[in-house]
Amino acid sequence: MSDLALEMTVNGRRVKRTVPPHQRLIDVLRDDLNLTGTKEGCGAGECGTCSVFVDGKLVKSCLMPAAKANGARIETIEGLAAPGDLTPVQKAFHKTGASQCGYCIPGMVMAATAALRANPEADLEEIKERMGGNICRCTGYTKIIEAVELARDVIAGRISADAFAEDAAVGSFIGSNVRRLDAPSKVAGRLRYAGDMVMPGMLHMQVLRSPHAHARIVSIDTSAAEVLEGVACVITAADVPGKDGFGVFVHDQPVMARGKVRYVGEAVAAVAAEDVLTARRALAQIRVVYEELPALFDAGEARKPGAPVLHDYAPDNVVKHIPIRKGDVDRGFAEADIIIEQTYQTQQVEHAYLEPEAGLAYVDHDDVVTVISPSQNITHHRHMLAKIIDRPINKVRFIMSPVGGGFGGKEDMIYQGMLALAAMKSGRPVRLVFTREESIIVTAKRHPADITYRMGLKKDGRITAISFSLLSDGGAYGLSTEGVMRKSAILSLGPYDIPNLTIDTVGVYTNNTPSGAFRTFGAMQSQFATECHLDIAAERLGLDAFEIRRINMMRDGASTHTQQVLGSVSIGRVLDVAEQASRWEHGPVGMRGPQRSDLGGDDTRAPCTLGARFRDGVGKTRQEVA
Amino acid sequence: MERRMRGRGVAASWYGIARTATIDRAGAWAELDDGGTAKIVTGVTEIGEGILTVLAQVAAEELGIRPEDVTIGDNDTARSPEAAHAGATRQTYMIGNSVALACRDARAKLDAVIAAHWGVEPGQIEAFNGEIWAEGTNLRMTMEEAVDLAKKRGVVPVGSGAFTAHGTGLDPVDGSGSPWQAYVFGCQVAEVEVDTVTGEVQVLGIWAVHDVGRAINPRGVEGQIEGGVVQGLGQALMEDYRLENGHTTTHGFAKYILPTALDMPQINTVIVEDPDPKSPLGAKGIGEPALVPTAPAIMNAIYDAVGVRITSLPATPEKVLAALAARAAAQQSVREGAQAAE
Amino acid sequence: MLTTDAYHMPATLDEALTLLATAPAGSRLVAGATDLLPWAREGRAGDVHLPALIDVTRIDEMSGVSIANGRVRFGANTVYQAFMTEPALARALPVMPHCAIWFADDQIREQATLAGNVVNASPAADGTPPLVAMNAVIECARRDATGTIVRRAVPIAEFLLGPGRTMLADGEIVTAITCDDMTGYGGAFEKVGQRRSLVIAVVNAAALVRTDRTGTRFEDVRLAIGGIGPVPLRLAEAEAMLRGQPVSAELIARASRFADDRIASRSRREYRRTVTRGFIAAVLENALADCGVPLPAARHTETADV
Repeated sequence: MSDLALEMTVNGRRVKRTVPPHQRLIDVLRDDLNLTGTKEGCGAGECGTCSVFVDGKLVKSCLMPAAKANGARIETIEGLAAPGDLTPVQKAFHKTGASQCGYCIPGMVMAATAALRANPEADLEEIKERMGGNICRCTGYTKIIEAVELARDVIAGRISADAFAEDAAVGSFIGSNVRRLDAPSKVAGRLRYAGDMVMPGMLHMQVLRSPHAHARIVSIDTSAAEVLEGVACVITAADVPGKDGFGVFVHDQPVMARGKVRYVGEAVAAVAAEDVLTARRALAQIRVVYEELPALFDAGEARKPGAPVLHDYAPDNVVKHIPIRKGDVDRGFAEADIIIEQTYQTQQVEHAYLEPEAGLAYVDHDDVVTVISPSQNITHHRHMLAKIIDRPINKVRFIMSPVGGGFGGKEDMIYQGMLALAAMKSGRPVRLVFTREESIIVTAKRHPADITYRMGLKKDGRITAISFSLLSDGGAYGLSTEGVMRKSAILSLGPYDIPNLTIDTVGVYTNNTPSGAFRTFGAMQSQFATECHLDIAAERLGLDAFEIRRINMMRDGASTHTQQVLGSVSIGRVLDVAEQASRWEHGPVGMRGPQRSDLGGDDTRAPCTLGARFRDGVGKTRQEVA
Repeated sequence: MERRMRGRGVAASWYGIARTATIDRAGAWAELDDGGTAKIVTGVTEIGEGILTVLAQVAAEELGIRPEDVTIGDNDTARSPEAAHAGATRQTYMIGNSVALACRDARAKLDAVIAAHWGVEPGQIEAFNGEIWAEGTNLRMTMEEAVDLAKKRGVVPVGSGAFTAHGTGLDPVDGSGSPWQAYVFGCQVAEVEVDTVTGEVQVLGIWAVHDVGRAINPRGVEGQIEGGVVQGLGQALMEDYRLENGHTTTHGFAKYILPTALDMPQINTVIVEDPDPKSPLGAKGIGEPALVPTAPAIMNAIYDAVGVRITSLPATPEKVLAALAARAAAQQSVREGAQAAE
Repeated sequence: MLTTDAYHMPATLDEALTLLATAPAGSRLVAGATDLLPWAREGRAGDVHLPALIDVTRIDEMSGVSIANGRVRFGANTVYQAFMTEPALARALPVMPHCAIWFADDQIREQATLAGNVVNASPAADGTPPLVAMNAVIECARRDATGTIVRRAVPIAEFLLGPGRTMLADGEIVTAITCDDMTGYGGAFEKVGQRRSLVIAVVNAAALVRTDRTGTRFEDVRLAIGGIGPVPLRLAEAEAMLRGQPVSAELIARASRFADDRIASRSRREYRRTVTRGFIAAVLENALADCGVPLPAARHTETADV
């Protein structure tokens, strides 16, 4: 192997490094130069978190072999402003609240900087277009784009730099737009997430994952991997000293597959080694003999007699069934003038936080097993890990590192157990950073839903009865399925007063990627059906969309679907405000679009047609950009 | 039908705040520190929602200092009191209120010292923005001086607080119960443009109206709503995790398609405040509820625009075009039937 | 993860051909690397070890643009962004800015080359339909048995054999691409995927149109579509039908049917057929508009065919 001798100018300083020939520019920046403001969100050029300037051109450093940067002038997020200072773009991001989790933000700041360098007068469309290669999962882009426009106007001198200052709080800090305290560290790329952290003597973990959806593990032979130079330890389920099992509600998932794998991507063994490459090579030396088992890929099949059983404790494959009953639905349907039936389906959705899972574990001087990770629930993780490793709870410590987006996806203790075991076995700090693909394959998704909806209404639009059932594929392990089914059921029928109802939500096991907690915890799936169904009903009855909702909405003191009596109910006020704010034109639901007069106002954006930068003529492109 | 058709749709929503059908709890410690600064220690770390800033605002308000004077300790099970998990739209409600209570506890200790020093009633003591004074008098000092005075009198102004939300479990047979003590309500209107050549749907506008109880940081609330809307838009139109026999075919972001800046609508947010009567701050929450109505509002808008109802998410270009073809075929057969009847 | 034993950056074609001839079997050429690195990841090729990588981007003779005798020649190292930022290229190849803006994103366009896009021969490539429409010729070089450099020029329609397959021989390097000088034409490009940036095309279409002085008659038309089969398709019959005819919505509508029976993709065939009809009409109308002669009733003819 012939190493590369690199000479570059990075943020104005000359650097020389010798690196392996396969290294990418991002590897050199992060690992050799400790410039961890450049993030690796996907490793495949799809997210933009790793954007840096190379000889003045913005590139994605995960797509650039380091050799290409030899001799080049590199500018990273850390080099945009002097330490302690911020550029106008960074100040604008701070002011508008453009950073939330912050993980995409260094890349966004770089893309914004590139956009304004290319065209200091770029308009809204051009700014969006020039930032189209950067993904943000938290902000909905609105405050980011607002920041770029603000920075543009300040740089151009159209507005004063005072616009970056905090709005003064008048009489109270509550209700005041205090600028985010964490923003300076995020816009400058200074904040260190778990995957940016290093400790002396730290090992790197890689995980061997199941290629099968359902299989019995006949044997695991780790001997060849263990003797490989640079390997510190190999761990499997056999290394768990205590009672194995984690999960948000039911502890049905082992730290690593125990006797059986239940989904593709499930951890089977893990290696801790001196570097990632050695760990990956060691994985290839582990021999696992599987005996494939019949697998279950469909939620509807899961409850049929004779279906494969995934977990012995649940012979019917049901994780949870939540029933809710109120009134008398038969009578309610009998009273109805019309009955509307419809099915709805929602898909599995990936959280896609820009920070892939990462963690760092070590055993400290007091023998406390410590795990640093972007966990959304360190309290519960500590309880579970203490049992798994059979230690007193005060000998287990979880530290929550800055979370680069969670949305529920980081509530599951999916890798922290392996890190703790490897740290205990090797006696050294161990770090694991998921690849994007690993994050997608391994971690929970939003529950998909198959919904059957039946609604009875009077001619005046009043709902007399609803029967609602939802079947959801919970995948291979329980994770949050129980809670998701509960919340989905409770909230399913929306903020409406329904006298007679039956609600059933059922989550089942299959050999698919597990479903788990995801922002709304089942409520968007069920309310999606309700809100579509109301429009179908409104069309049948010739009602306006707001009208049918008002007719049925809960009012102060309403009894909910679970018969809880509420105090103040704001839905009526919310509907009024929405109708006014949107300048809604009243009319019965139907294909009204061509007849509407409320379309295309100043409060909508223009449709996106690409090419904003040369809209005034292609030939002018160069002059504009130069 | 013209190539590009526009339409609008509406959807409403509701949501419960904090953990479901159980007792939720969180704790916090507060210390008014030297220089008129403060330390807040609680099990919380930013997951992006802005909680650190919200807590700093709450602490500043309660302690009479400025948000930038507040230092918030790391979330560490060995070093900070339990605040439980970062999810369930519970951070502002649970941890915000526990921090408020802890700060009130610390302030009470300081106020007692200062009131005694000035010979006024503790109830007369007010503080804001780094200054402390006795109402109805001209007695006033900086918070730095006040903390210094307290320490010289042997008092370290520390406090602790815990906040509880009382939910009850559901009856196993009829599901009855009171899962939350606070609810929020929302409504979104979507305006879309459907390209009838490609089936693409662009969301041009969203009007998002949400009751949040009380907005501690309105800009932060907007940020949560904007992010929720675009996640809802992604689920409505493009995101789709696919499996074939348990193996995903959407391994990375080249196949798992997320919205970019070119897909975001103009989002017009209106915050409605119906304060929670059961908590010190009156704030409820917004993290999760923001995205509940987005997808159905978009589907209803597609129907308004082109008369096809997509009941299975996501409404991909191919699905929309197939639905348009089916609609055209159905209309054709109705026309033919009508002609045959003549 | 991609690993290699050696990463070479030759400065001359001669050096590159020597490296290519002597490198261990399985070694690969690299241009922008924007497709190579994502390829060596899970879900695609997984961990890949290549004995050597030979990066051609520092070879001077593979850069640069020249325009002469009705042809435009650009080096294989020309990156996508250049088709928007280099005025000479943008003027002579007026379809290319519209195509380039749809290709990936600003960052990737700074690295990815059009020639690399051709060599990868993806059926969904954005760059190949315009090249087909512009009678592109791919210039290649290799070293023969005696060691002399042998060059050949292959029309793109012959060069592309199918998904991932080209005429490029072992040891051969694409050095440049030439196409017709399209100065004075109006260009247009349409693409649909699942969103509007950084996305793989399901269908794309490119058109170049030149009208007579009055702007009422098609003098020349170039039309090609992609994503609908193993290789992009030049719609020569439609071009011939339009050439010399007065511009009209009816004529464009007729042209839009010319690809109906040529959608060869096995998946989403009906979708692709419908979109292709709409796209042919749209690119013709937009190319006319780009010439400065928008179809009077364009809005009404741009209708859905459902």
